[in-house]
Amino acid sequence: MTEASAGPPPVAEALPPEAAEEVAQVRASVAEVLDEQADLRRTHELMVGAQGHDPRLHELLTAELGLLGLVVPEHLGGLGLDVSAATAVIEELGARLVPGALATSLTAILAARALGPSAEPLLARVVAEQLTLASALAEDGAGWDLGQTATRATGTGDEWALTGTKTLVAGVEAARVVLVTARDGDGELGVHAVDLAADGVDVRTHMTLDQTRRLSTVHLREAAATRVDAPGGEGARVLLDHVRAMLALESAAAARACLDRTVEYLKVREQFGRPIGSFQALKHRCADLAVAVAGARATADHLVTTLRTGAATRSHDAALAKLVCTDTLMTVAAEAIQLHGGIGFTFEHDAHLFFKRGKSAQLLAGSPAAVRAEVAALAGL
Amino acid sequence: MATDAAQATGAPVSDEQFRAEIRGWLHDALTGPFAEAVGTGGEGREHEAHELRREWERHLGRAGWIGLGWPTEYGGRPATLAQQVIYHEEYARAGAPGRLGHMSEQLLGPTLLAFGTPEQKARFLPGITSGEDIWCQGYSEPDAGSDLAGVRTRAERRGDSYVITGQKVWTSLAHLADWCFVLCRTDPDSTRHAGLSYLLVPMDQPGVTVRPITQLTGTSEFNEVFFDGAVAAVEHRVGAEGEGWKVAMGTLGFERGVSTLGQQIGFRRRLDAVIARAHENGAWQEPALRDRLVEAYIGLEVMRHSAVRLLASAGAGLSGLEASISKLQWATWNRSLGELAVDVEGAGALLTGPGYELDDAQTHFLFSRANTIYGGSNEIQRNIIAERLLGLPR
Repeated sequence: MTEASAGPPPVAEALPPEAAEEVAQVRASVAEVLDEQADLRRTHELMVGAQGHDPRLHELLTAELGLLGLVVPEHLGGLGLDVSAATAVIEELGARLVPGALATSLTAILAARALGPSAEPLLARVVAEQLTLASALAEDGAGWDLGQTATRATGTGDEWALTGTKTLVAGVEAARVVLVTARDGDGELGVHAVDLAADGVDVRTHMTLDQTRRLSTVHLREAAATRVDAPGGEGARVLLDHVRAMLALESAAAARACLDRTVEYLKVREQFGRPIGSFQALKHRCADLAVAVAGARATADHLVTTLRTGAATRSHDAALAKLVCTDTLMTVAAEAIQLHGGIGFTFEHDAHLFFKRGKSAQLLAGSPAAVRAEVAALAGL
Repeated sequence: MATDAAQATGAPVSDEQFRAEIRGWLHDALTGPFAEAVGTGGEGREHEAHELRREWERHLGRAGWIGLGWPTEYGGRPATLAQQVIYHEEYARAGAPGRLGHMSEQLLGPTLLAFGTPEQKARFLPGITSGEDIWCQGYSEPDAGSDLAGVRTRAERRGDSYVITGQKVWTSLAHLADWCFVLCRTDPDSTRHAGLSYLLVPMDQPGVTVRPITQLTGTSEFNEVFFDGAVAAVEHRVGAEGEGWKVAMGTLGFERGVSTLGQQIGFRRRLDAVIARAHENGAWQEPALRDRLVEAYIGLEVMRHSAVRLLASAGAGLSGLEASISKLQWATWNRSLGELAVDVEGAGALLTGPGYELDDAQTHFLFSRANTIYGGSNEIQRNIIAERLLGLPR
C-alpha cells in the first residue's frame, strides 16, 4: 500500500519562486486572452458550427503566445518552462470549457516530455513546425484497457506502419500529428507518431453529447509512423496517465467555475421575496459542493506535483485524480442545473455545457468503475 | 502564536533526526512500561485505562513531548511546523494511547499563548507541558449546543472571585480533569455573544458536580457538569470581562492543522483493518462492498492531499473556514467507514460481549455517530461554509 504519511511537501518539491512567477504569468496571460475571446457565449456559437472550435484562437494561442513550446526543453527549441506552466493552461481552458485542440495537444507534449530522449525528435518538430498533437488510445471493445490494444505496428527502428482503428479521439480534428498506441509483432505496446496527412490515415469526426468536445474515429491502414517511446518501456501507460491528468485538471477547474456561477445566481435570484441563496436547503447543498471542489483541487494539485517531480506514483495519482475530479464536476454540474431551476434546463443557459463536459470527462480514458478498480490494484488494496 | 515562536527559535535538529527520536522513544515506551496502554483511549474508548494513561501523560511531559513549538520557558520544546506534523504521525503510527491531555494541549494551551497574561501563562502552561494537569472544556449547555452563544451559565463577580451557577454538558474528561475552561455569562443583562467571559475553574471544589452521560455505546466519555456556587479567581479570567466569545472562538480549529495528518494515520490504520477483514471473510469479493472500500480509500487520499495543501500554504494552523471543510470531510468519512466496518463483518457483528462489550467494528459503527455532531455539527459547518466561504446571504 502507499505510505499514508506525508507531512508538508519537502522543499525540493516546491517550485522555486522564479519558476512559480513564470507559471503565474503564463496563467494570467492565457486567462486574459480566454476571457476576451473564449467566453461561453462564443462556445455556444462554435459548438453547433461545422468545426466545433475557433481556429483563429488556436492560432493566437500557439503561433503568437507560443504555447506549444511552453514546456518543450530549451535545447529542443522550446521555452523549457516547468510542467506546471502547461497544466495551468489546461486548467484555464478547462475552467471555460474552451473547445479545441490545445489542451489535448499540451497533454501529448507533456507525455512526450515524460518519455525522455526517444521523444526528443518529435518535440523538436513540435516547436519547429508548430505541430498540434493529439493522442489516440481507445479502440472499439477494448476502450482504454491498454492490455487489449489491437492496433498493429509493423517495422523496425524509425520506420513503422500502423494498421487499426482508434475511437473517441479528442482534438484530432485540429491536429497535425497523432500519438497512437499500437502493438508490434512481439506483442509489445508502443507509442507511435502518425502524420494525419499521411497515406492510409482517415479521420471521421462525430457530433458529440458533450458539444464542447468533438470526438473522432481514426482509421489507419499501413500508415507511416515513427516510434516515440523507448522499447521495453511503459510509453503507452505514460500517455494514458497524461490523458487522465488532463481530464482531472480540466474538471477540477470547471467544477470550481460551475459552482462559482451557481452561487452568484443564488445570490441574485429572488423568490418568496428573498434571494434563494438564503434558504438553508440550498446553502447546505452548495457547502457540500464547495467541500467536493476543494477536495478535487487538492487532488489535482497533488497530481501536478507528481507530474512535475516524475514521482513513481504517477499512474495511481492520475487515476485517482481523474476519478475524483470528474465525479466532482459531474456532481456540481448536475446540482447547478437543479439549483438554477427552469432556466438551467434551457439550451441557451451554460449549465448544460458543464453537465455534458462532466459526463465526457467521466467516461473518457476509462469509466469510473474501471478506473476505481485500477486505483484499488495500484494502491494494493 | 505557538508555531511562529518555534520557527523564530529555529529547530535544533533535522526532520529526519526528529522523526527517529520520537519513533525510538515511542517504541521504547510502548514496548516497555506502557505496553498495556497501546491502542487504549481512542475514539469510543475514552473509558479505558485511566490510571495508566494519566501516568502516560506525565511520561510524555517528562520527555518533553508536550507543547512542541511552545516557548521553552513554559516547558515547551522548539519544533518546526513540519516536526509537529511528524510528531503526530509517529504518535498515531505507534498506536500510542488516546491523550487525556489533548484539550489541555490543543485547546487551552494555544488559547493562553494567544490571550493569556504573562502570569497566567507562567501559572498554567508548565502544568500542561509536564502532563500533570488535565483540563476539560466547559462550552456546551443543554440549551446552547450548535447555538453556543446561547450560553446561560452565570458567573457573578464577588470581590476577587467569580461565583458560578449553571450547567455544562458533553464535557469529556470532566470526571478526571483538574481544571475546566468555562465559557459563562458575566453580564446578566447581555444576550448572545456579548457579556461572556472565559474562566479557568478548579474542578475539585464543593460547588462542582460531575455526572457521566451513558451514550448509545453503553459507555461514558462525556459528562454533565453542574456548577452551584463554584468559585473561580478573577485573575484566572482569560481576556477581558465580556470578551469570552472572542477568546473561545480565537483558537477553535487553530491547532487542528498539525494534528490532522496524524489523525489520518489513525484513519488509515482503521481502513487497512477493515480491508484486511474484508479479504479474510470474503466481503472483498462482493462488488458493492469492494466499491465502498475503494471509495473510502479514495476519500482518505483526498483528505490527505487537502491537509498537505493547507499545511503547505497556511503555515501556522488552519483558518476557521478551512477547519470547517476539514471537519465536514473527516467526520462524514469516518462515520461512513464505521457503517462499512459493520457491513463487512455481516450478521456476525450483531453479537456483543456479555456486558455489551463492543469490538472495534461495533465501537466504530456506534461512536462515529458523534463525529458529525460534536465540535460543530455537519449542519453548522455547512452554514459556516455557505455563508463565510461562498458568501451566500443569511
